[in-house]
Amino acid sequence: MKANARHHGKVTVVDLSGKITIGEGDIKLRQAVNALLDEGRKNIILNLGGVSYMDSAGIGELVACYKRAREKGVSLKLLNPNGKVQDLLILTKLQEIFDIYRDEREALASF
Amino acid sequence: MIEDATNHRRPEPGRRESPPGVDRNVKLRLESRIGYVDLVHEMAEGLARRMGFAKSMALNIGLAVREAVINAIKHGNGMDASKEIEVSFEQDDGLFRVRVRDQGPGFDWAHTSNPLERENIFRSSGRGIFFMKHFVDRVEFQRRKGKGTEVVLEKKFEPSGRAGRGGEVIKRRKG
Repeated sequence: MKANARHHGKVTVVDLSGKITIGEGDIKLRQAVNALLDEGRKNIILNLGGVSYMDSAGIGELVACYKRAREKGVSLKLLNPNGKVQDLLILTKLQEIFDIYRDEREALASF
Repeated sequence: MIEDATNHRRPEPGRRESPPGVDRNVKLRLESRIGYVDLVHEMAEGLARRMGFAKSMALNIGLAVREAVINAIKHGNGMDASKEIEVSFEQDDGLFRVRVRDQGPGFDWAHTSNPLERENIFRSSGRGIFFMKHFVDRVEFQRRKGKGTEVVLEKKFEPSGRAGRGGEVIKRRKG
């Protein structure tokens, strides 16, 4: 799994690609989000467009990131979950929890 | 990896040998290391594809097996690398069956919480068995006296394009 952060004014978009699974992807996701929280970033978009699938550990880490962000007063939103990732968010009812966007401009403007 | 054993059934005299991936049973014995989860997932998905499952369904099978292996390593064997897990893949009359065995003291699979309940939705764990049950037709846990736990996952074969659950069992023609 790869995570690349880019900044658009007050918003940071993290482009994720690969799979978010136990032992590697989940750890990289945690590190990427923790780094942004440590930097004091207040608005984060996780771009899931390049993520092929996640397992229970990856979904669990996504929830953990959301909780950590919320505890610090940081807004964390999701962009463009596709295929299996979208299926998993629906299956776990997490699509009701996360703010999810299809269009990046719309997501950027939502903060 | 400790052992990798592949067994081909001998074709009966006069019968053509089945194509690779069909009539094949594979058994793996692995140390309890998370690093092997991807290997088992890819093997499950690959065998399902060769059996004729649609790509999306093969991924579902791979994900279910992945969760069973994670459970066996984490909750069954308690991440103790000296304990083994055993994974067997079987094709049986239109059915793809995967058995995952651990050597641990067992865990209480009967009382797992529902991850869809409001109080559990923010939990960062507890979705593995839920995924297994969603992605295959049957999940059965069996405690083996003094030998750990066996999880059996079964998925009926469905032709490409029918990735839903259940459905008619259609035998693949040979030759």
